[in-house]
Amino acid sequence: MADKFDLIVIGAGPGGYVAAIRAAQLGMKVACVEKRDTLGGTCLNVGCIPSKALLTASEKYHEAKEELDRFGVDVGSVKLDLKKMMGHKDDVVKSNVTGVAFLFKKNKITWLKGLGTIPAPGKVQVEDAKGKKETYETDKILIATGSDVMNLPGVEIDEKQIVSSTGALDLAKVPKTMVVIGGGYIGLEMGSVWSRLGTKVTVVEFLDKIVPTMDEEVGKQFHRILGKQGIEFKLKTKVTAAKAQKSGVKLTLEPAAGGDAEEMKADVVLVAIGRRPLTDNLGLDKIGVETDKRGFIAVDEDFQTNVEGIYAIGDAIPGPMLAHKAEEDGMAAVEIMAGQSPHVDYNLVPGIVYTWPEVASIGKTEQQLKADGVAYKVGKFPFSANGRARAMNATDGFVKILADKETDKVLGCHILGPNAGDLIHEVATAAAFGASAEDIAMTCHGHPTLNEAVKEAALAVDGRPIHI
Amino acid sequence: MKDISCKVLVIGGGPGGYVAAIRAGQLGLDTVIVDPKPMGGTCLNVGCIPSKALIHAANEYRHVSKMARGERTPGVRVENPSFDLAAAVEWKDGIVARLNGGVAGLLKKAKVKTVRGWARFRDGKTVSVDTETGTQVIRAEEIVIATGSKPVELPFLKFGEKVLSSTEVLSLAEPPKRLVVVGAGYIGLELGTAYAKMGSHVEVVEAENRILPQYPADLTRPVAARLKDLGVVLHLGAKAKGLVGEDALLIETAGGRDERLPCDKVLVTVGRAPLTEGWGLEELALDMDGRFIAVDDRCRTSMRGLYAIGDVTGEPMLAHRAMAQGEMVAEIIAGHRRAWDKAAIPAVCFTDPEIVTVGLSEAEAKHQGIEVKTGQFPFKANGRAMTLEDEDGFVQVVARADNHQVLGIQAVGGGVAELSAAFSLALEMGAVLEDIAGTIHAHPTQSEGFQEAALKTLGHALHV
Ligand SMILES: Cc1cc2nc3c(=O)[nH]c(=O)nc-3n(C[C@H](O)[C@H](O)[C@H](O)COP(=O)(O)OP(=O)(O)OC[C@H]3O[C@@H](n4cnc5c(N)ncnc54)[C@H](O)[C@@H]3O)c2cc1C
Ligand SMILES: Cc1cc2nc3c(=O)[nH]c(=O)nc-3n(C[C@H](O)[C@H](O)[C@H](O)COP(=O)(O)OP(=O)(O)OC[C@H]3O[C@@H](n4cnc5c(N)ncnc54)[C@H](O)[C@@H]3O)c2cc1C
Repeated sequence: MADKFDLIVIGAGPGGYVAAIRAAQLGMKVACVEKRDTLGGTCLNVGCIPSKALLTASEKYHEAKEELDRFGVDVGSVKLDLKKMMGHKDDVVKSNVTGVAFLFKKNKITWLKGLGTIPAPGKVQVEDAKGKKETYETDKILIATGSDVMNLPGVEIDEKQIVSSTGALDLAKVPKTMVVIGGGYIGLEMGSVWSRLGTKVTVVEFLDKIVPTMDEEVGKQFHRILGKQGIEFKLKTKVTAAKAQKSGVKLTLEPAAGGDAEEMKADVVLVAIGRRPLTDNLGLDKIGVETDKRGFIAVDEDFQTNVEGIYAIGDAIPGPMLAHKAEEDGMAAVEIMAGQSPHVDYNLVPGIVYTWPEVASIGKTEQQLKADGVAYKVGKFPFSANGRARAMNATDGFVKILADKETDKVLGCHILGPNAGDLIHEVATAAAFGASAEDIAMTCHGHPTLNEAVKEAALAVDGRPIHI
Repeated sequence: MKDISCKVLVIGGGPGGYVAAIRAGQLGLDTVIVDPKPMGGTCLNVGCIPSKALIHAANEYRHVSKMARGERTPGVRVENPSFDLAAAVEWKDGIVARLNGGVAGLLKKAKVKTVRGWARFRDGKTVSVDTETGTQVIRAEEIVIATGSKPVELPFLKFGEKVLSSTEVLSLAEPPKRLVVVGAGYIGLELGTAYAKMGSHVEVVEAENRILPQYPADLTRPVAARLKDLGVVLHLGAKAKGLVGEDALLIETAGGRDERLPCDKVLVTVGRAPLTEGWGLEELALDMDGRFIAVDDRCRTSMRGLYAIGDVTGEPMLAHRAMAQGEMVAEIIAGHRRAWDKAAIPAVCFTDPEIVTVGLSEAEAKHQGIEVKTGQFPFKANGRAMTLEDEDGFVQVVARADNHQVLGIQAVGGGVAELSAAFSLALEMGAVLEDIAGTIHAHPTQSEGFQEAALKTLGHALHV
C-alpha cells in the first residue's frame, strides 16, 4: 500500500483541479487522479478553451474578409491556413494545461496518472496506461469525473466524418458542407466556427427552437441573426441515421412528430446533442453510490454522496454543466470538508454562448417566471441605441432584465450582443447581493461603454430609459 | 419673436444637458433646451463617440497589419492591408449624425422644446438666445447650466492649420506623416495611439515624468510598453515651447536642452477648461470653485433656481458624471428627494490596453490613513485573455485590511472598459472581498480576473 492522503480527487477538470488547489491551500494532503495525458479536463483540452480560441480566430478571419472596409480598413487578400490556425489553438491549450501542471507543483498536489476507481470507501485504485495498478488510502474522495459526449443511436462517431465536438475542434480541412445535430450552444459555437471558415452549415434540431433553455425572445432574435449569417436550420426534425461513406455522410431525417423520411448528404456531421455524466467507469455500483437514471451522482447540500466520505461535483452531479459551476462546486466542497460553510446558488450561474453576437444569461427566463406564477416587470434596451456599440460597428441584439413586480429584485437577465459574456457580470454581482433593478440603474456606468445598455435596461424596468 | 416661458431651461445639449432635459420631460416638466450645435455636446460631436469610433477602426487596422506580418491570429493570411482615413472619418461622421438625430428624437419624445442658438443670461431667470431667425427670449423658473468645457489652448501654440485640438484631429483627410502630441493625458494618448496605428510617426511631449499622470503608475506601464511597441517616442519631463519654422516643434527636454521635433501636425491636449465665458456669467453672482462653478450635493449653485452640471462644475470631467448629475437635477426640480451620493464614478481610458479605475487607489487609501490589502491578478493567467491573444495587464483590488470592504478596483488590459460596471456596482453595494470571491464568474471570461483578484487579496487565488 502506497501513500495515504487526506483527499483524493478523481478527475482534473475545472471542478477537480480547482478543488485540489483549494484543498491544498486549506492544508490538506491532496492527490488528483487523471487519465488524460494533460490536466484541465474537458474544458481546457477539448472544451471551453480550444473552442473559444477557434471562435476568436475564425471571427478575425471573417471580419478581415467581410467587415472592415466599412470603416476604411482595406485588406488586399485574406487566405486561411487551417493548419496554422489549429496550431495556434493547440498552443493556447498547451499554455493552459501546463499552467495547471505548474499550479499543481506550486501547491504540492500529487498527480496520479491513470484511471481511477473506488474499490471501497477510503480507497482509490489507479491503473496507469501500462495496466499497472496501485491502491491509495485516503480520508476523503471527491469524484470530479465530469462528462462525455452523448451518443445518438444510429450514428456512430468516427471523429473523422462523423465527429463529436472533440473532432470538430480538429478537422484537417474545411468541409464544404456540415450537418450539426443539435441546436444547443456547443453545436452553434462549432457550427459558427466552420460557417465562418467557409462551410455551409445546417443545424438539425429536434425541438421547435434552438437553445431551448434560453429566454424565448432572445432565442428568436438569436436564431434570426445566425440565419442571416448563413447558417441553415431544420427545426422539429430528427436524425434517425447517419452513415459515413467513401465521400461524405448520408443522413436520414424525419419530422420530429413523425412522417416521411428525407435524405441528406454532408461532408461532415457533428453530433452535439448534449453531454452525459461520466460516472460509469468508477465502480460506483459496487460500493453503492447512488446515481440517477441518466448517471448523475446524487449529492446532499454538502456535496456528499450517500456513502460517507465520498463527495462529487461538477458535470458528474446535477446542475448546469458548465466549467465555472464545476469550479464553484469544487471550492465549496473542500471548504465544507474543512469545516467552512460556503454555498453555491445554481440560480446565479451565468451561461454564455460565444457566437457572434454572444448570448449571456443569468437567473430566470420570462417563460420560467410565467410558469412559476411570479409577477414581474421587464426592461429592455437595444444595442443599436448604445454609442459604444455603434462605434464598434456591433449593434445587433439587446439587454433584457426581469425584476420582481413588487420588490424590483432582479430575477433574471438575458443579453444578446457584443461582449455579452462580460456584461452579464455586472448583473451577476448585483444578483449575488439580491439587488434591485434600481440599484443597477443608480450605479454610475462609464461612458461610452456597452455596460450602459445594462443600466438603460434597468431604467426601462421602471419605464424610464433615457436613450430610447 | 414671442418670448417663451417654461418651468425648466437647460443651457447646453451635451450629455449633462440633454439627459437633464429628457428626464425633466419624462417627469412632465415643461422644458426647453438650448444649444447652437447639433445635440450631444462635446461627447457626441467631438469627444467620446467619434474618438472611440476612430480608435476602433485604428485597432482593427493594427490587427490586420499584424496578421499580415504573421504576428497575430496565426492561420489568417492577409496581404497588403491599407487604411483610408477619409473613409473612416466618413463612417464616424455617419455615426455621429445618427446619434445627433437620435438625441433630437428623444428630446422630442419627452416633449422638450429645442431652441438652436447661443444663450446669454440677462438675469437669473431670463436668457436671450441668438437664433438664426433672431433673438429669442426665454424665461424659466429653474435654469440648468450645462455649458461644458473646451480644449485648453497654449498661448505659444495657437490652434490653427498646423496646431490642432482634439476636435480637428478627429476629421483629418489623411494621417499626418509626423504627429507630435503635447500632453500625455488620456485624450492625447487615445488619439496619439490611434494615429500611430494608422501609420503616423508619433512623438509625445509630457511635462510630468510619466504618461497618464492622473493614473496610478503600475496601471500605465502596459500602456507605455504598447506605445513603445508602436514606435511612439515619449519625451517625458519635457516642455513644448513653440513652433520653429514650418515643420518643427521646439521643446525643452528633461535635461534642459532645446530639441526640435520635426512634425507635420501638432496635437495639443493639455486639458480642458470649463466653458464659463460668453454667456453672461458676469450677470450672475455665482460662487466659483476655482475655474468651475461651485455646486452643492444637489448641483445647486449659490443662486436660487440656478443649477449647474457637467464639465462646467469640475472634475472628473467625464460624460457619465455629467449624465448622472443631469438625471439627478431633473428629479430634484420635479420635487424628488435626491442628492449626489455616488460611491463610484468609473474612469475609463481607451488607450491600448484600456485602463479602468473605480474608487480609491492603494496610494489614495493609504493617504487617507486607511490600512489596506491589495491583490492583483494578471491576465496572463486568464484563459479568455489567451484565446483573445491579449494577455497584457491585470485586475487589482484595494480593500480595507480590517473588514475587507472593497475601496477601489483598477484594471488594465484589452477590453477592460466593459468590466467597469461590475466594479462600480460592487462599490455601490458596499461589497467586501468575500462577496466578490463568492460571486460566480463565468468561464472563460476576463471577468474572472475580478474574482481572482479578490481571492488573491484574501490570500488564496486559484489560478496564480
Ligand atoms: C466543446 C465544448 C465547449 C465548452 N465550452 C464551455 C464554455 O465556454 N463555458 C463553460 O462553462 N463550459 C463549457 N463547456 C463545458 C465544460 O467543459 C464542462 O462543464 C466542464 O469541463 C466540467 O468540468 P468537470 O471538472 O466537472 O469535468 P471535466 O472537465 O469533464 O473533467 C473530468 C476529467 O476527469 C477525467 N476522468 C474521468 N473519469 C476518470 C477516471 N475514472 N479516472 C481518472 N480520470 C477520470 C477526465 O479525463 C477529465 O479530464 C464546454 C464543453 C465542450 C465539450
Ligand atoms: C476627444 C475627447 C474624448 C473624450 N472621451 C471621453 C470618454 O471616453 N468618456 C468620458 O466620459 N468623457 C470623455 N470626454 C469628455 C466628455 O466629452 C465630457 O466630459 C462631456 O461631454 C461633458 O458633458 P457636458 O454636458 O458637461 O458638456 P459638453 O459635452 O461640453 O456640452 C456642452 C454643450 O453646451 C453648449 N453650450 C455651451 N455654452 C452654451 C451657451 N451659452 N448657449 C447654448 N449652448 C451652449 C455647447 O455647444 C455644447 O454642445 C472626451 C472629451 C474629448 C474632447
